[in-house]
Amino acid sequence: MKQLAVASLLQLAVLLAVAPLASGIIRTLKARMQTRRGPGILQPYRDLFKLWRKNMVVPDSASWIFSVAPHVVFLTAAAVGLMIPMIAWEAPLGLFGGVLAIIYLLGLGRFFLALAGLDTGTAFGGMGSSREMTISALAEPAMMLAVFTVAIAAGSTSLTEVARSAAGQSWRFLAPSQILAFSALFIVLIAETGRIPVDNPATHLELTMIHEAMILEYSGRYLALIEWGASIKQLVLMTLLVNVFFPFGLSASWRAPALVIALGVYLVKLLALCALIVLVETTNAKLRLFRVPELLAVAFILGALALISSFLF
Amino acid sequence: MSFFSDPQFGERVITLMAALALVLQLGMVSQRWLITNIRLFGVQSFLLAAIAATIAHFNRAPHLYAAAGMTLLLKVVVLPLWLERLVKRVGIRKEIEPLINVPASLLISGGLTLLGYVVAESFARPAAGFPSRELGHNTLAVALALFLIGFFMMINRRKALSQVLALLSLENGIFLAAISLTYGMPLVVELGIFFDVLVAVMLLGILVYRIGETFESTDVSKLRRLRG
Repeated sequence: MKQLAVASLLQLAVLLAVAPLASGIIRTLKARMQTRRGPGILQPYRDLFKLWRKNMVVPDSASWIFSVAPHVVFLTAAAVGLMIPMIAWEAPLGLFGGVLAIIYLLGLGRFFLALAGLDTGTAFGGMGSSREMTISALAEPAMMLAVFTVAIAAGSTSLTEVARSAAGQSWRFLAPSQILAFSALFIVLIAETGRIPVDNPATHLELTMIHEAMILEYSGRYLALIEWGASIKQLVLMTLLVNVFFPFGLSASWRAPALVIALGVYLVKLLALCALIVLVETTNAKLRLFRVPELLAVAFILGALALISSFLF
Repeated sequence: MSFFSDPQFGERVITLMAALALVLQLGMVSQRWLITNIRLFGVQSFLLAAIAATIAHFNRAPHLYAAAGMTLLLKVVVLPLWLERLVKRVGIRKEIEPLINVPASLLISGGLTLLGYVVAESFARPAAGFPSRELGHNTLAVALALFLIGFFMMINRRKALSQVLALLSLENGIFLAAISLTYGMPLVVELGIFFDVLVAVMLLGILVYRIGETFESTDVSKLRRLRG
């Protein structure tokens, strides 16, 4: 019991601390690849700190949903963060259904964010919400298929079991179904975190924005909560990718020396994934909104093929 | 260094690269830009060369190194460069317009992959008396899928140049099937095939150029006008 509490606290601390760092690293690497200097790696922390101290402006037309949504977004992201194996095999929190609970907790956060976009009654908020929902409706089946592929290979939907069985078989991650599932989940990661072929996280250009349009009315502490929640969600999805498909280096127990090594390995894996994301972001142009379903169709087909080929193996 | 001589590891690496080639093929189906398509083809050919080299290493078939080298030279360097130059010279619109929209094409490609797997399945259980193949049926399934999807791409596209590209990726499928089933054909046969592909693409390139000159478009459906 005590060990569980310590594990939860530890993982929560890592989650909250590393999430803005991942955003910062991606931003800095991207700037360097475009031969700009860019802000420092710690800029997201400074942004969050600044937002946290600012006053809030709440629109007159806003209802209770407006103030509930930031908390829901933040808490669901943090709860999901506790349900995936991050530095040790064992996730501190194992709820009903494992992977399924993760997908739908993220869905709950997204639902409230979209509601908040609609709540203030502005045109941009509604537009952003409708786009977000369109994209997530297409991304979710692809994510489910990719995740089921992994779950079938492990024989359980619990991520702890998945990580354990993956670590047991060496070279399992070289199987074709795993590669197909990884590609599908990578496209979903790009779409869900609003990265470049789908959405541009760096602009407030009204014609193209998705995520930014929904949170246009937010300011101060609520905005900080939403931004932090979004970066935690991004870290959670990245962790899912690196730890489920490349499970080496995960610590078998919650003991100090093993954990430090595991944390180091985890950060290196994250860095590699960040580099991959940056590569995709700098070499691609943003897609027209009506072309996004095509990209997600690729993810869906890859996921379906992954599932099929894991049966025919 | 131990896994460099472990054949099971080799088999895994080969299936992995074959799966990546399949992912690239699906990318080619969904990608609309002709130049990106040509580059995807280049990367796919590079994977094939790597597969050939891996098979050569693990099955001690040194003549496959020659096939790998030729693939590297021809399909990774010469043909993509030549095709890109052709795109510039003909000055065609650089976007491919498939007949069937992209999500539906992808669904069809998925179905074709499934078909490839079903057909390859029967090779996985060899009849009694035959030694079973070490190389998994996975590679063969991927090869069949590459072949079928390449064929589908050829039907699905209007412009002559994008059809040439589809033909090349179809040929990649045949090459993969050949090296995964037979561990490499005799060198003379390989040489013949490579020379064939090279000449075919050169001729098709000239043909595309002439079509573009005469009709001011490389849309082959416009050739119907030639009927008397």
